[in-house]
Amino acid sequence: MNCEVCHLKDLEVEHYEIREVLRCILHTIIFHRALGLVRPKEIDLELFEITYVQCGDLKVEKKIDEKIEQLIGWVEKHPNKKSQICLSFYEVKNKQASWFTNKIERLYWEHWYVNLNVVQQPKTAYARSHSSKDIVDSENALEERSIRRACLETSLREVLFQIIRFVNDKKDHVPPIPNREGAISFPYEITIPSSSDSAFGMDMIKRMLQTGHPTMLS
Amino acid sequence: MDQIVSQFLLKSLHIILDSRIPSLYPNDRGGYAVSASCAKKSDKWFNLALGDRPAALDNLNFWHRNLMDPMIIDIILVHEGPNSSSVDNLYTSTSTKAMVETVIERWSVHYECPRVTPNMNDSSAHKKIYKKLIVLLRSLYCQMRFLPAYRIFRQLNSSSQTYNFDIIYKVSSFGDPFSRTEEAMMQDYTFSPVEASSGRLCVSVTYHKTLSDFNLVPAGSLFPRIITDYVGSPTTKPLRSFPSSGKVVEATSSPLRGARPPSSSPFQRPHSWTSGFHRGAPFAQASPPVYHMYRSPSPPSDFYGQWGPYSRSVSQRAVSCDDYQLSPPFSPSPNHSYSHSPSPSPSPPAHISGCNTSQHRGRSGTSPMNIPHVVAAGNSRYSSPNLSDPNRQHSLPPPSPLNSRLDPSSQDSPSRIRSYRKSESQRSAELHFGVANHYTGHKLLRDGRDDSGRFSGLLSSSGSPKIGFSRSSSRLSLQDDSDDCEFSCPFDVDDVDSSASLARNNLDSRRSSEQSSATMGAKSQDAAVGVLVHMLRNAPPLRQDPSCYSSPSLNMELGAGVTASSGFFLPRKTSDALEELRSYREMKNLLLSKSGACLSKEEA
Repeated sequence: MNCEVCHLKDLEVEHYEIREVLRCILHTIIFHRALGLVRPKEIDLELFEITYVQCGDLKVEKKIDEKIEQLIGWVEKHPNKKSQICLSFYEVKNKQASWFTNKIERLYWEHWYVNLNVVQQPKTAYARSHSSKDIVDSENALEERSIRRACLETSLREVLFQIIRFVNDKKDHVPPIPNREGAISFPYEITIPSSSDSAFGMDMIKRMLQTGHPTMLS
Repeated sequence: MDQIVSQFLLKSLHIILDSRIPSLYPNDRGGYAVSASCAKKSDKWFNLALGDRPAALDNLNFWHRNLMDPMIIDIILVHEGPNSSSVDNLYTSTSTKAMVETVIERWSVHYECPRVTPNMNDSSAHKKIYKKLIVLLRSLYCQMRFLPAYRIFRQLNSSSQTYNFDIIYKVSSFGDPFSRTEEAMMQDYTFSPVEASSGRLCVSVTYHKTLSDFNLVPAGSLFPRIITDYVGSPTTKPLRSFPSSGKVVEATSSPLRGARPPSSSPFQRPHSWTSGFHRGAPFAQASPPVYHMYRSPSPPSDFYGQWGPYSRSVSQRAVSCDDYQLSPPFSPSPNHSYSHSPSPSPSPPAHISGCNTSQHRGRSGTSPMNIPHVVAAGNSRYSSPNLSDPNRQHSLPPPSPLNSRLDPSSQDSPSRIRSYRKSESQRSAELHFGVANHYTGHKLLRDGRDDSGRFSGLLSSSGSPKIGFSRSSSRLSLQDDSDDCEFSCPFDVDDVDSSASLARNNLDSRRSSEQSSATMGAKSQDAAVGVLVHMLRNAPPLRQDPSCYSSPSLNMELGAGVTASSGFFLPRKTSDALEELRSYREMKNLLLSKSGACLSKEEA
């Protein structure tokens, strides 16, 4: 089985938009991969006129929110850097038990990379001065922001269409649906690849620990 | 494989209609509440639970017998023609207004090139195909929400406004080709087909890239009105959009009314099944739902059960029956009296469309009740800004029969209040509700509401018809102290068990009183509303000590309410809640029947 990789289109977001944008994208992807019985849940974005669909699983929601918070924390520590979040689906394969360990291997069959450029809004937009020049500047800044927001909404729609296209074009690599209760049929993990650059060792230890436990979710 | 294909067709049709047609469900779509186990099983197909299938899908089984025929679903926007302006709307009669139908989306689901292969029964192959179809349907579900038409569907489904457009659908095995101009405005998207050994399943859509070219505006937005008797803030009151005041709507204008046969169903969209059922289906199924709404107690069964987070569809259903014959009250030139001139069908579909738009007004996200005094501006979601005093009077029931019937079951201590209340109610039934009364009621409403939402303040000695305004931000907080002489609070601390049984008795007696009052004439409307008010006021569990009923004064009642509310929350039995729910249902049915009776009476 091959591993399909999808790099979604880059999105330029402001700090306060990260949460909504990522929730929308990650939930949409998971909805397409949660092939168990789902009762879809529609969520309207507050910042954009977009409605996306969740699979309705609370654990998924919680996990996604946790990872988003993690990314936001990373972004705050590394401003003006491109950030990336990776959603991966894998199969758990039991390897032959050896003398020392009962290794359980993860076979990844799909990776989704969400790329964000977090822009910092210039401070002049929030100036409270009452001088006419500042007012004009802040009006211009607001107008720029609304233009940027409209562009982001268009880009976000394109990303969502991109997800749908990818999901539909490539179906052969999806493993058979296991007989399992619940919406989530395939184990998945959400990682922040950029954050592991400075914690390579920790990441390795984490993976070793994970492979020692037959857990479905990271 | 055939079963998979046919279920796929059904599921895709369900997904498409569910996301585009606001009036798809004639009854309260309470999830799996009333569905049989077989309905649940069918919902699990493709691991996508959507809820009960609309009745329209049953037609598909009958119609779409040949799986090889493509299923073309046209989503049609019914809107004002380009030559009609907002100003013209004010002055032209509805019969001359041109409504135009435009196909804004065309979905095509097709099982192509079926062929017989030797491995038709290969179960592993079927599993793979099934898995791929699951993914395809997930994408379809998401895509429905990403396309432009979803926004206007959400607008129509919103509870706050009516609009000058509607969405209908047509299912057929072929689609009329688009003109060049139409094609230029549309875009295609084709989902990757799912290959099967015996053919392949294809889903594609042609859709309008943008709907901003259509003049889709709220119906009442052009007609600002001054509400002279506005009472209360709509945003804080859960009791709204009750359809009982059918005559309220009637007062404004109902050009649809005369032309519309009573048998048309407000809920049956013109299912344009091109196998010959184009717009015929609604007539065949027309009468039962309508009369069901008017006469049967069951449809609004959930009305009283859910005040707060009220399901939109229930209020919508309850409203639509009354409203379907009537244009939205605050739309003097109702845009939804579609002439359907290009269509061969007679008026009912137009009225159905009109009904559907009018019932949007009634779709309250919070409450089914439209205590008619709370009138709304053009954009409000209340049913009528045109409430005139005579209309309003009809909506308040004469409480005297109820009071007299309930007297035996009342407690001793509130007897003084009982008599007080009785006379007050009688007066309320006879009075016209003037502006002052409403304002006072509103003011007292606020006072009551401040006190954890209790309306004991309403019982003050004015004896005014504002009793009819007993709305509250919380159903549970409605309380009328003087009414407790007739109904003891089911949540009394002092006597939980007996109060529960007493509440049951009260509810029973209320129910019987409601039923008997159903036979009354115009005043019975007032009686019904008064009974409802009584019930609402007594429902909330705020009072612990029956002795607090003894004083009719506002301050004492408020004080008692405050102290009661603090120690209020007793464990309430499910049976009590069920009883209460039943009583609310009965009340709602009564009011509905009243409104229907009054409406027909007024029409006569």
